[in-house]
Amino acid sequence: MKVDIQSLGTFNQLAHEGAQQATASMAQMTGIDAAVDVTKITLVDRDDIGEHLDDRNFVGVQFDFEGELSGQTALVMDQSCSETLTDALLPGDSAADMAESGVKEIGNIMMSGFIDGWADYLETTIDHSPPTYIEGIGRDVIPDSKTVEGDDDSADQLFVFKSQIEWLEESVDFYIYMLPDYDSLTDLMMTHADTAGDAIPIDKLQVFNRMTERGTEKAADNVSMMTGIETEAEVSQISFARIEDVPKQIGNAQYVGTVVEFTGLPSGFLLVLFDEQSAKNVAEALMPTDVDSDELTDQHTAAIEELGNIMTSGFVDGWANVLETSVDHTPPRLVHDMGQAILDPLAAQVGQHQEHAFIIDSRMQTDDIEFEAEIHALPNEQELREALDELMVERAEETEADPDELFQ
Amino acid sequence: MKVYNGSEQTDASTTERIKVGIAEYDVSTNGAVLTTSGLGSCIGVAVRDEAVGASGLVHVMLPAADEVDGGNPAKFADTGVETLVAEMERVGADRADMIAKIAGGSDMLDFSKDGSGIGARNADVVKETLEEMDIPVVNEDVGGDHGRSLRFEGSSGDLVVKSANMDSRRL
Amino acid sequence: MPEVLIADDSEFMRNLLREILEEDHQIIDEVENGVEAVEAYKENNPDLVMMDIVMPIRDGIEATDEIKSTDPSANVIMCTSVGQEEKMKEAVKAGADGYITKPFQKPSVMEAIEDVVPS
Repeated sequence: MKVDIQSLGTFNQLAHEGAQQATASMAQMTGIDAAVDVTKITLVDRDDIGEHLDDRNFVGVQFDFEGELSGQTALVMDQSCSETLTDALLPGDSAADMAESGVKEIGNIMMSGFIDGWADYLETTIDHSPPTYIEGIGRDVIPDSKTVEGDDDSADQLFVFKSQIEWLEESVDFYIYMLPDYDSLTDLMMTHADTAGDAIPIDKLQVFNRMTERGTEKAADNVSMMTGIETEAEVSQISFARIEDVPKQIGNAQYVGTVVEFTGLPSGFLLVLFDEQSAKNVAEALMPTDVDSDELTDQHTAAIEELGNIMTSGFVDGWANVLETSVDHTPPRLVHDMGQAILDPLAAQVGQHQEHAFIIDSRMQTDDIEFEAEIHALPNEQELREALDELMVERAEETEADPDELFQ
Repeated sequence: MKVYNGSEQTDASTTERIKVGIAEYDVSTNGAVLTTSGLGSCIGVAVRDEAVGASGLVHVMLPAADEVDGGNPAKFADTGVETLVAEMERVGADRADMIAKIAGGSDMLDFSKDGSGIGARNADVVKETLEEMDIPVVNEDVGGDHGRSLRFEGSSGDLVVKSANMDSRRL
Repeated sequence: MPEVLIADDSEFMRNLLREILEEDHQIIDEVENGVEAVEAYKENNPDLVMMDIVMPIRDGIEATDEIKSTDPSANVIMCTSVGQEEKMKEAVKAGADGYITKPFQKPSVMEAIEDVVPS
């Protein structure tokens, strides 16, 4: 099952334009200035959809759609965002009473705009059900895509189109999700695939995702072992986005971490990043003596550098072992800067050869102390494609090598 | 790609703030503040025509459009500057009166082995393109190994450069 | 006490190894890359080298290869975060005597050393 990169790009663009259309409708109705920040396609575990939504109350609207493409779509916003919207829509009125119907109406108009673009491009009609009001804490608000009848585990992972919408005046969380049924989307992508030259075996992306998950677990184990802090791998996913949207994958807060360039199949860049507080906490857990400083000292950064090195190896070793190849990487370079500024030189270097990029994102965290780490990999697209071609599905679990078998 | 144009609806009481994303540009004639954040090897090019009070900002990512396929002119240093200047002219600015200030183009995380990093090449192409158009670069803060965020004030024409762990500079 | 050379670009790791080893070993030198490792080996002729793989200038596998080709009796234990089978095979080919993956705990380091240079 192969899909060419161009059609992935086209589908991403459709989702982006649909989201822009939807956002423009909203701006027109409410007078609120907003813009679509990022649109990306992500292959993710069903359980992890919407994982970035924190434990706040979210509301929204969802639809089922069917036709040449079928699935579900949802518009999701945090509570304060919905209040602002309904206020803008029904000024002076008892907005609270009208909140639900206000959100529903905005959602209805926005989502029609979103779906229409797809129908036009596909030269078909896509029908959608009436909107349903949804409400929930964090990711619970997101509808689960329908489970396929008599399904095997292949649909445990889904392609999700996610657009993040940004308001100019306020910091609010506002998203458009599209969750097509896996088979419906892949059938459609294959129909629209025109060349075999740059085709990517998308079924193997799922295997690759599993491999990444093992890599993240290994990296998390390494952190636990070094620091004594029980660390859990949280999410592993692979996304596809325009190269200029890649730096936006990381927030613009300050991050501390390491970056390496890796060579082999595939080549690319790998980042291990901690927010400043996490960096400080994990470094202190590593250091033999107590440090009395609120700032990040050289001792902290030396510890972070080595931790980044070991997490990097934990992460890429699995790829090498599954692919029966070796992946070399440069010594880690320590970074401490704005998140986006860290990623943009890497995206630019990759962007010299490609218009879109795959981004592999993983996250780990712990309940013990305030600690969260992110791993991001930015592989060369063509080489990732070759690696996937080489990837033997049955080796997917062979991520660990045992030196004792070789050194006797 | 121009994502939105806030200049259509202006609230006279507050200074409008326009956010320019990566590979985007925007132009204002009403003294708005144009901002862009998280520049690594990317470059922010701020162009101003004092006489008509027009300001524009573009956030470019790669040196030259002909090196890569891809339709978005604002992504590249050469076509990005050209597009911004054309848009400035469209709102009434005169190329002969334009001046430019640039910031960004850091060499952080440059893994290239030949030493010609993207940040430096971005800066070269931006300057060459501006020179071909006879637009002088009156001030700049480029290179180094740190990220930057920019705030281009339409009222004064000042370009404020903020870096992590450093005091901000006003160009 | 056996004399040990530590080659690792991370100061943090060198400190950690030193703490583990210094009770029963004499650390004769600590270096940060493969070139320095080869020089320090020639100069000091230690009983054991603890060698990182990913290092600037010259990596640990190349350095091991050179040390072992000039002195086949040298004892080199790779001490690395890399856990790739192909890399381990390269290390075997270069003549490495043992392989410890980071992060490690003291007992596994002591065990690997005991296998290579029995006390």
